[in-house]
Amino acid sequence: DEIGLIPCPEARYNRSPIVLVENKLGVESWCVKFLLPYVHNKLLLYRQRKQWLNKDELIDITCTLLLLNPDFTTAWNVRKELILSGTLNPLKDLHLGKLALTKFPKSPETWIHRRWVLQQLIQENSLPSLATKGNLGAAPVERIHRLVQEEMNVCSEAAGRYPSNYNAWSHRIWVLQHLAKLTVKVLLDELSSTKYWVSMHVSDHSGFHYRQFLLNSLIRRTVTDNNILVQNQLVNEQNPSLQKGEEGAGTEAACAEEQSVDLPHCLDEEMELCTELIDSYPGHETLWCHSDETLNNFHHSPATSHVAQAMDVDGLNESSSKQGYTQETKRLKRAPVQDSLGPEMEYRFVDKVLSTCRDVDQARFATAYRKWLVTFLGQ
Amino acid sequence: APFSRRSAYCAASVASLTNILTPTLFAGTAEWIARCQNWEGGIGGVPGMEAHGGYTFCGVAALVILKQEHLLNLRNLLHWVTGRQMRFEGGFQGRCNKLVDGCYSFWQAGLLPLLHRALHARGDPALSMAHWMFDQLALQEYILLCCQCPAGGLLDKPGKSRDFYHTCYCLSGLAIAQHFGSGDLHNEVVLGIPENCLQATHPVYNIAPEKVARAVMHFLQYPVPSLDPAS
Repeated sequence: DEIGLIPCPEARYNRSPIVLVENKLGVESWCVKFLLPYVHNKLLLYRQRKQWLNKDELIDITCTLLLLNPDFTTAWNVRKELILSGTLNPLKDLHLGKLALTKFPKSPETWIHRRWVLQQLIQENSLPSLATKGNLGAAPVERIHRLVQEEMNVCSEAAGRYPSNYNAWSHRIWVLQHLAKLTVKVLLDELSSTKYWVSMHVSDHSGFHYRQFLLNSLIRRTVTDNNILVQNQLVNEQNPSLQKGEEGAGTEAACAEEQSVDLPHCLDEEMELCTELIDSYPGHETLWCHSDETLNNFHHSPATSHVAQAMDVDGLNESSSKQGYTQETKRLKRAPVQDSLGPEMEYRFVDKVLSTCRDVDQARFATAYRKWLVTFLGQ
Repeated sequence: APFSRRSAYCAASVASLTNILTPTLFAGTAEWIARCQNWEGGIGGVPGMEAHGGYTFCGVAALVILKQEHLLNLRNLLHWVTGRQMRFEGGFQGRCNKLVDGCYSFWQAGLLPLLHRALHARGDPALSMAHWMFDQLALQEYILLCCQCPAGGLLDKPGKSRDFYHTCYCLSGLAIAQHFGSGDLHNEVVLGIPENCLQATHPVYNIAPEKVARAVMHFLQYPVPSLDPAS
């Protein structure tokens, strides 16, 4: 489940350089300068059609190459060909990638290949006949769910191995968008499962940024669901005699259920998390940025109907896809949210931090935050 | 789409310099780039992702070439990029809460001339006519004092080894920091001895401004090639 290089400049004993301990694979460093050129060369000769390799040899060679250098695109591409021709199980590549990431958590080619494999798997899923390669048994939905969960794990591990791992978090977002379709359930699940992780990595801006992405997706989701619900209601009012049938009732119920996302509560919890972490770990800019933006979202919670109208406000050049990212003027024009405890609590919090903290950076961030609060909220 | 901001910038650069820029070639590109501007104000790799110096420069420069900078929220972008200059080191970081890196001397600082021009075009009265909106001297200090390898070449930060990429972008950033504007408005701000002064670089293409002018003039002589297979 993990690979690594064992620093060992000379072969002292006449034995294999491969070390396997507790399911972790190690390779003594002295052998790499022989092994890598050898397999690299073999693969290139194959590609140049100067030397034939059968499928099994190809699988072995590419596997070895990629564990030594996962950014070797050609090797991943050979495996793509094997997958497309049906001789290689795509799940093996997910496993190979996972292993490579334990040593090379940023490897761009590994993440790119991973997304290709996942796309192949979802396409397979949508085919009516699913009896292939004995990796099924579960219903398509559950299969996707398991894939998503596994990807979340892989991303989490990789993020832990390298600070602010842009590629890992990018991938995580991609999976939510393309495999999990950004359902409310998955967004809420992710919020709760990453809460612990970000608390343990308070300077990891990417991690907190991910939470912003989750919150913003939830906000967007609620707005669309609200609109769908409103449209359905209008349709019903106009055609009371219309038979809705199972499907119609189903989607409405689903919308109603999804609508039970308590957005203000989520944002409130997020502010609480920020406050707690800022108190416990003084001087982390990331936490203050996160606080800024969460408060910003709090005051534009679309749980109120104001926002649906506010979205059309001002003929600004901005496209509607930038819902959460508005200009100062647009913010100030919006109607205030019912729960006005927000700003007062924030002022109290900031003042408390300023009077009790001894960390220079913390004081600076707190002062800037206070200034921002005054400009943004003060009237 | 499996198509990155870097490619968009490269394509736009080449197309504009060689006079093959047509509306159809980049249809939808500007909107797609703008969608990647996030709440932080910078631009990320894909919509929803964290703002990142490299992607932001490529995105903004491409938009400048396509004359569509107004699709971005320029104030948020300005707020984000100015926040990336490190108050102790003087150099720039690529993203919030990360370490300083010499190459961002260009990717981040290079955004300020672009923003200056865009805001000026809007008639913003608060713009300086002598300086960019970042601490030019502090950046020069970082590059000259911390990013030089004694054996020649430049690098990311002390302790790292030199490479061509960092040499290129540290020098590019230095040039940006030393030269404000051009023509009548040209203002040089050079740290240390006058010999430290580099030639100015074009903030969009990062090659000498005269070269940009010559390329454009040269290719303007030729018509835009058509895609008709017949002729």
